[in-house]
Amino acid sequence: MAPIVRISNLEKYFGRLHVLRNVSLDIESREVVCLIGRSGSGKSTLLRCINFLEEPSHGTVELDGIKAEGGERGKHHRQQIHDLRLKTGMVFQEFNLFPHMSVLENVIEGPVIVKGMDRADAIALAKENLDSVGMLFKKDEYPDRLSGGQKQRVAIARALTMEPKVMLFDEPTSALDPELIGEVLNVMKNVAKDGMTMLVVTHEMGFARDVADRVLVMADGEIIEDAKPNNLFNKPKDPRTKALIDRYRTGGG
Amino acid sequence: MSEIIKEEGSNKSRGELLYESQQRRKRQFNTSVSLAWGFFLIILIYLFSGKSFLGFNTIKLDIDFIRQNMAFIAGGLYETLLISVLSIILATFLALIAALGRLSTSPPIYALSTFYVSLIRGTPLYLQIFFCFLALPQLGIVLPGLWAGVLALGVNYGAYMSEIFRAGLASVGKGQREAALAIGMTPGQTLRRVIMPQALRFAIPPMWNDFIAMTKDSALVAATGFVHEIMWRATKVGRAKFNNLEALIMAAIFYWAMTLILTYVQGRIEARLARGDR
Repeated sequence: MAPIVRISNLEKYFGRLHVLRNVSLDIESREVVCLIGRSGSGKSTLLRCINFLEEPSHGTVELDGIKAEGGERGKHHRQQIHDLRLKTGMVFQEFNLFPHMSVLENVIEGPVIVKGMDRADAIALAKENLDSVGMLFKKDEYPDRLSGGQKQRVAIARALTMEPKVMLFDEPTSALDPELIGEVLNVMKNVAKDGMTMLVVTHEMGFARDVADRVLVMADGEIIEDAKPNNLFNKPKDPRTKALIDRYRTGGG
Repeated sequence: MSEIIKEEGSNKSRGELLYESQQRRKRQFNTSVSLAWGFFLIILIYLFSGKSFLGFNTIKLDIDFIRQNMAFIAGGLYETLLISVLSIILATFLALIAALGRLSTSPPIYALSTFYVSLIRGTPLYLQIFFCFLALPQLGIVLPGLWAGVLALGVNYGAYMSEIFRAGLASVGKGQREAALAIGMTPGQTLRRVIMPQALRFAIPPMWNDFIAMTKDSALVAATGFVHEIMWRATKVGRAKFNNLEALIMAAIFYWAMTLILTYVQGRIEARLARGDR
């Protein structure tokens, strides 16, 4: 079976800064891939290039039959990006819930406005997903009344309600107080268990070890290691990977 | 220190007592301010009472004149409010377009928006009003008095208000835009559904401020003689009988009262927005 995500020869420059260097990556359907690395290694940029929140300078992103080329312009290109975004759900470090909408309105906004789904159907689907992240009881609250962990769970429900093929997580627990991280990771585990294809940029090594099928290590804009979590954590090949893992072992940030 | 200390004979914690004393001080301050306001108001009224005080004569007003012309000047309230409301609607519309133009990546649209703001802010409102009343007819455009005034005030305030909307749009974090795009919204949907509602909420208090200012700037339209709002009426009757003092004081009272009411409403709106519900 063809991979559901195929990233080929991706390059990204921010001005003169070369952030992604010829990155290629395949992700199989239902696979959970964690992306780790020091800050500035390019892992968030790679994730954001997949739904073109960052336009790659060069290279292609193929996702479930949609193909978008970095650096192109025009109507066809915009349509491809739009289609890519419909097939991906994204969860941000800063949650980015819409503060002027209730929890339920946040979740149905995409299906109703973007997909033109019937409101009643959208509400039914939204309730199902809010229930699965344990946030149905807050459906009429506004985001500023929620804790960080609750906001992130709603954000996950919002992304899931668009029924994406792939979920992209951009450091979903990095803005949370330590005691709230667990509830979000548990929700993510359940999403993985339900068979969602996931790409997760994270610093949570425990999550990477327990949940990921593969762990990728990025450094200096390149994927320097790509292995099953057991192999990676026990027998890292690259000295930079070893240094990264050791830092977390000793509890360093 | 962290233990809650109970005072004898009281079942309130130290924190509660501290909070209460803070509240008390705040109330005392507010009461004192109100009293001082009342005092200044009384002095002001006394100054115009015509009574003598320690050998000084205060100002004597022609009460008969006031009584006879009160209704006539008050009749201008309607036109003042009408011209202000219509102008602020036009201004809001223009300001929104100008602010969005500033976000445009198209050079002509961006240029048009900055050109408009620069031209209008670079010339006096008084000139713009006369332009609409006196210069436009020379070009064959003759607007009814009220509409010429609305055009001048609306175009002028629109230029200043566009800065408010610009700040409002800038106040919405870029994460909001990204979240909207990530769920597949088009740029237009993102603007309408996500950015605008938040920007408008930010812009409401300063917009209301501009509206309050507008009710007074509308007095400038009186100079053209075509709109019979408060100021025009006051100067008309004042000049006719050489009772300008009384006429202008009456007009001032109407403007001030109107402003007090609008400011009170503004306070309510701000309190509502601050509460965090929509």
